[in-house]
Amino acid sequence: MIFTRSASTAPVRQRHFGVVEPGCAERPWRARPSLAFMAVLALILATAAKAQNPELPDQGPMQQTSETPGRASGNYNTQQNIEFGYRDSMIHGNLNNYDMFNDYGSGWRLFDYDLDMHSTNHQGLLFDDLSFNNFGYGGDPLSVSRLRVDKNKGYDFRASYRRDDYLFNYSLLANPLNPTSFAPPTAIANSPQASQYVRHMQDYDLLLLPESRLRFRLGYSRVSTKAPGSTGYEPTVAAVGSNTEGITNEYRLGLDYRGLPRTTFSFDELLNYTRVNTSVADRNFPFQLATGTPVDLGIVFQGTTPCAAPVTNPATTPPTVKANCNGILSYSLLGAPRAKFPVEKFSFQSDYFKNLAMSGSAAYSNSSNVMTDLSELFNGWVSRTVTRESTTAGPTQAKRVVADANWAGEYQITTKLSLRDEFYYHNWRIPSSWATAETNLFAAKAAAGQAGLTLPISPATPANFAALCPAPFTGASCPQHNANSGPDVLNEAVSQFLGQDLRNNLVELKYNFTNHLSAYIGYFYQARTIDDFSATFDTGEVYLPGGATGTAANDFLAARADCAIPSGGLLPSGCTLNPATGVITEIGPETANKTARNYYHIRENAAEFGLSARVSDKLRINADLMAGYNDNSFTRISPRQLQSYKVHATYEPKPWANITAAVDIQENRDNVYTVNNIERGKTYSLSAALSPRGDFTVDFGYNYMDVYTQTEICFPDSSPLFTQPCPVANASPLGTLSFYASRDNYAYADVMWKPQKRVTAMAGYLGSLVRGSTTFLNPLTPTGTLDFDYFTPYASVTFDIYKGASYRTAWNFYGYNDRGIANPAGLVPLPSQNFNGNNITFVLRYAF
Amino acid sequence: MNSRKAPALAILGAFFCLSISPVGAQQNAAAQGSTTPGYAGAEACKTCHAGEYESWAKSRHWATSNNTRGGPAKQGCEACHGPGADHAANPADTSKLFLFTKASPKEINAQCLGCHASGTQQLHVNNSLHSRNDISCTSCHSAHHSETREFLLVKTQPALCYTCHQQQRPQFSMPFRHRVNEGLVQCSDCHNPHGSERQHQLRTSVTQDQVCYNCHADKRGPFVYEHEPLRTEGCTICHTPHGSPNIHLLKMSNVNLLCLSCHTTSFANAPGAPSFHNQAAQYQACTLCHTQIHGSNTSFVFFK
Repeated sequence: MIFTRSASTAPVRQRHFGVVEPGCAERPWRARPSLAFMAVLALILATAAKAQNPELPDQGPMQQTSETPGRASGNYNTQQNIEFGYRDSMIHGNLNNYDMFNDYGSGWRLFDYDLDMHSTNHQGLLFDDLSFNNFGYGGDPLSVSRLRVDKNKGYDFRASYRRDDYLFNYSLLANPLNPTSFAPPTAIANSPQASQYVRHMQDYDLLLLPESRLRFRLGYSRVSTKAPGSTGYEPTVAAVGSNTEGITNEYRLGLDYRGLPRTTFSFDELLNYTRVNTSVADRNFPFQLATGTPVDLGIVFQGTTPCAAPVTNPATTPPTVKANCNGILSYSLLGAPRAKFPVEKFSFQSDYFKNLAMSGSAAYSNSSNVMTDLSELFNGWVSRTVTRESTTAGPTQAKRVVADANWAGEYQITTKLSLRDEFYYHNWRIPSSWATAETNLFAAKAAAGQAGLTLPISPATPANFAALCPAPFTGASCPQHNANSGPDVLNEAVSQFLGQDLRNNLVELKYNFTNHLSAYIGYFYQARTIDDFSATFDTGEVYLPGGATGTAANDFLAARADCAIPSGGLLPSGCTLNPATGVITEIGPETANKTARNYYHIRENAAEFGLSARVSDKLRINADLMAGYNDNSFTRISPRQLQSYKVHATYEPKPWANITAAVDIQENRDNVYTVNNIERGKTYSLSAALSPRGDFTVDFGYNYMDVYTQTEICFPDSSPLFTQPCPVANASPLGTLSFYASRDNYAYADVMWKPQKRVTAMAGYLGSLVRGSTTFLNPLTPTGTLDFDYFTPYASVTFDIYKGASYRTAWNFYGYNDRGIANPAGLVPLPSQNFNGNNITFVLRYAF
Repeated sequence: MNSRKAPALAILGAFFCLSISPVGAQQNAAAQGSTTPGYAGAEACKTCHAGEYESWAKSRHWATSNNTRGGPAKQGCEACHGPGADHAANPADTSKLFLFTKASPKEINAQCLGCHASGTQQLHVNNSLHSRNDISCTSCHSAHHSETREFLLVKTQPALCYTCHQQQRPQFSMPFRHRVNEGLVQCSDCHNPHGSERQHQLRTSVTQDQVCYNCHADKRGPFVYEHEPLRTEGCTICHTPHGSPNIHLLKMSNVNLLCLSCHTTSFANAPGAPSFHNQAAQYQACTLCHTQIHGSNTSFVFFK
């Protein structure tokens, strides 16, 4: 009852026909092709149906065995159920958060449509059974359709379509920590990374000859995702206003052969093609220069980023900013990687041999992801490197080679004792490369009044440099580098590698003391080897001289970056100076070039124990314990010690009463003194489902979750909060034992009552009280989702009108309230994160 | 009609014709009553067990009636419950019957796998976590009292899974969650309840990688610059997959704390935060700038 996904879950937004609230995008009624298809299909299949007196309408989700007897149509029994109506929403508060959490708006909806056709004599012409279930059409953030058609001996076909429309706009994530002293002292109401992800997922599977010795499986899946992208260019700016579209097509072909008794062999050929089209363009220019040129300063931080006190005139529209700020005048990033993943997989399952049941599989895949059309164009100002323009291109390629195998067997030693063994092998490697081609253009000499974003761009290139900018490289057109400037031309061959070889084995003894009591003990061993390397070879870097701080000692700033002259006075190896032009070229390995592989070996040993007891026909208890140890870890938060404790109990004192309780505790540790990592999760659960009468049911439960994480971290931090040094010498100056703790009290209750035969009343409540604490690296950080209350009570009344027709009114409340520190002292006041609201849904249902 | 389509349609038509048995053959031994000693046939069972017969007749298990190759032992009610002639003659005699209410979980599983041990979905049943804890097929499926027609489940998802896995229920009610309660995602989309070779009975993607990539294909890569823990440790190194109070289902509320857990100078694998990343001055979230944190083809610091 809790998981009704139709009208009772309607959200609320204050909206009137044709009027949209500020900041909220109107949601057009979506005329989906599948909706039209559904309507046509329903009409076609229902034309031959004849009216009969239905029972109570089917309230369940997909594929539910309905209580409605349905209608006879030829030799088919057809049952249909349609729910449509209107949802009126009234939401107050932070609509961005509401959209993220729920996003149910006002409007007409097709809440549910179900169609079941069953051949009464199993002699259907094309099919014997058909089930078609749909919900969420008309404007809800998610829509689902599922179809199953089967014909005895012939085929079994399943299809599903799912649409997920997810709005992300959490302003606190990216809210620059603007203190009240910052100019302009404005808080950000929308996240710079706000995005609307729309994902369409289709799956089709056809099983031919399901009952024959040789079965064929065909499948196709398609996932298309549209999502805005955001890109960081240099650490001070982020481009927005972009689209990334990804489409995955997956083809599956398989067969199952049952030639031997109790044995099945299977083979699968799988092809996955993924194409991603990335199109990033900065279309967000909230500021302007004094010249009127639009400019994007990216994410504006306090302090000196993008520059100190960037706004010079807040009264203009848009506000006018300094020219010497880091900023974007134009930016675009295009690229279309194409990936293909062919997979071959063989598997088997057999208990052909007496007392021995086995299964196993082996798979291989050699995939690639290639991008040949990368193109990045930047025009703006990066003060650290005094760059005015930059282009980046070059083909990329990454491969993923996977070999995967497993074998499992269970041998029945005696009627009570069995031995299980499970072996798993998984090896993958990702070699990749990128032939980088980058050019950087720097400012020419400034004229009066020019700075930063208004500086002219030097037209100097290696081809024209000698003529354009002769020694001593002080001409007006000469590029004005500084010591941090990168090369003017960069060509690199980047080679990366990451791979892992994993093997594990679990051996387990299980003893059945009785049919009601069993226990198992097991030993798990795992060996992992991870290896990686990162190699970068400069196939041609060009450093042009020129700049205010250029001297003969630094070859007039041509000797910079990789070719910077260390104390000692000689150019690094690979750097060659052309005395005639003053240009330095470099060919050779990058400083960070590492062609030798790094290896990481990790061995895990773990013991397991479990108990399963049916104490009586009414009481059942399961317990599982695990303790393990790794001799190494690949990351600081990968555990070296693992412990897991689970106890679950189910008690049915009466046939109509079910009570369950569970304790789940998981703890991982890495006790190396410079890490001191602990990750602990505890959950305590209690629930009851009571159905003493057919007209009255009650469900209720309570969960308590306790999560705690700690890790020793080191970082630069200028606040007075931290004074302890990093425990590692010569590392980041400060260290602290960071922690995150969260405690969630979750409760729910549902009541269904039929005071009269034709009336059904439902009421329920779900609520989470989350309280937490964590280390704050910045005193201006709001607590965000650390502390909140989230309540969603609901109620509905359904009236059975006549012969399968019913009417329902439902009420839902959504209440999210931040209980933490929303506005730390000194921070520009932020918009409230809270939202509260009601929705009322009016639903007509007809079952026939 | 397009001449190239004609052969394909003819094959398809022939296929359907072959799958439709004549009426006489359809009314097989199970329906008419078995003449094999020891077996009574489904019609005999219907006399006393009309409700169970009706539910069986409407389900896919009716297809056992077509199993002429297996004979009466693989047809009708007796395909699961064993020879019923003695019980039909003497209702008190159940000695030759297989009673699911009396059998052990292992026996129940073996009985069901006699037919259902084919294909890849039930490949790991015998060594699954469920099997290890004496969860039998009838814990989730019911041939006669199912709530769903597909898979004959005793309850729909996720209510069925919540009967034992209550600890996941509050997670799916969190602000940031996979939409399981809403019906967009099912537990069985990510987990194989019959077992798998992966931890927590997780499925693998078609590309033999983490199941997350079935939907989150844009994170699959492979990329030139990989965020290595994502590949070696899995998505759960940073995310709580069911639901979380934290954005993007992260394990912590503060993105920087999560990143610094690894990117702290003291560990050779992950570079520490550089000196100009003053945590007190700015950088509300590392991912503001390091946007392509799951991997990038063009930036070793995952800017783009």
